[in-house]
Amino acid sequence: MELTTPGVATLRRDPDQRALGDAETADAALAASGDGRAFERLYRAHVARVHSLVRRMVGPDHADDIAQDVFVRAWTKLATFRGEAAFGTWLHRLAVNVILARRTTLGTERSRYDDSADRLDGVAGRPAAPELSMDFEEAIGRLPDGARQVFVLHDIEGYRHEEIADMLGIVAGTSKSQLHHARMALRKHLER
Amino acid sequence: MTDQWTDRLSEYLDGELAGPERTALEAHLVSCDACRTTLDELRRVVTNARALDDRPPSADLWPVVAARIGLAARSQPRPVVRRFSFTVPQLAAASVALALVAGGAAWLIARRGPVAAPVVISRPTPTLLNASAYPGDSRYLAQVADLERALARDRGRLDTATVRVIERNLRIIDRAIRNAQSALAADPANSYLNLHLAQEMRRKLELLRQAATLAGARS
Repeated sequence: MELTTPGVATLRRDPDQRALGDAETADAALAASGDGRAFERLYRAHVARVHSLVRRMVGPDHADDIAQDVFVRAWTKLATFRGEAAFGTWLHRLAVNVILARRTTLGTERSRYDDSADRLDGVAGRPAAPELSMDFEEAIGRLPDGARQVFVLHDIEGYRHEEIADMLGIVAGTSKSQLHHARMALRKHLER
Repeated sequence: MTDQWTDRLSEYLDGELAGPERTALEAHLVSCDACRTTLDELRRVVTNARALDDRPPSADLWPVVAARIGLAARSQPRPVVRRFSFTVPQLAAASVALALVAGGAAWLIARRGPVAAPVVISRPTPTLLNASAYPGDSRYLAQVADLERALARDRGRLDTATVRVIERNLRIIDRAIRNAQSALAADPANSYLNLHLAQEMRRKLELLRQAATLAGARS
């Protein structure tokens, strides 16, 4: 039965995702006004995704530090979140920016995009017997920095080559080439 | 084994190969087992990548994050928030949820048409539980007007998203009030509608009061 009371019919049509987005937008507004509990809720909701992104992009050694940086940065930038996009989308892009800014510190600057074939071969050359095949995540972590970052951004996070090229300061052709090399290397680590 | 087409397989897989090149590659795939196998493996790599689960960190990072943003030293975020049992958006959300449920019931009652007053009630005219919340009551109207003026004056001190939430929910409560008034016009002796109207009006007053206080406290 469709009620005409204001808001009721609209609420019934709303998908869960929109309700979640509204709740997160409200939490973001509360957090922007200094509500730490609201910000903790946002942290809890997104920490797995942010940490996974960081871990895949830069490896496990610095993942905790950089994930913390992402949330500290998010806290200071909350006033710039206006709710035009989902909070998760906003946070994700901010996380990518924090990660990329840390590349220089971590020694994964642009020159590393000239990945040697040897390093890719090292990933690809690992024995593929089931008992020796490494975890797919671990195989991603063994890719050279440039190939790994392009692979994570494109195949896991869904960015387009033009966006990746813009973020990483490379040309789209390089992004395509790195992606292909990464995929070719990772073929050896598919479950049989 | 690789050939001239191997390096183009990812582009083909991603739909980025067009025109004659795509046609030529597809013709090549018909006769090249190695490229078909490689293409299938690349497709599986992409499928695996999209299926990866996100994993939380092994240790909770929140205590460090909270300390770095200065939340650990205080048990509550800001003194102004401590003044209230509920924050304004929480109150607004609760108000709207109640307004919607109660409004739906009011609509259903109004749709059924007038009902006879219970026998045990002998009041000839509707009596609201709280006289200060009567729509025509000058005290109520003055309070609402005062608070609306205060909120309008200080709204610039609130975050714009918070203002949007407050205004959206005030509109919903206003609609619930209007609905209840319309239903009461058709069934003035309905005790539920009287109670519902009084509750919605008090809800509006409370939301306005808290929002105005919050905005004023930001000065």
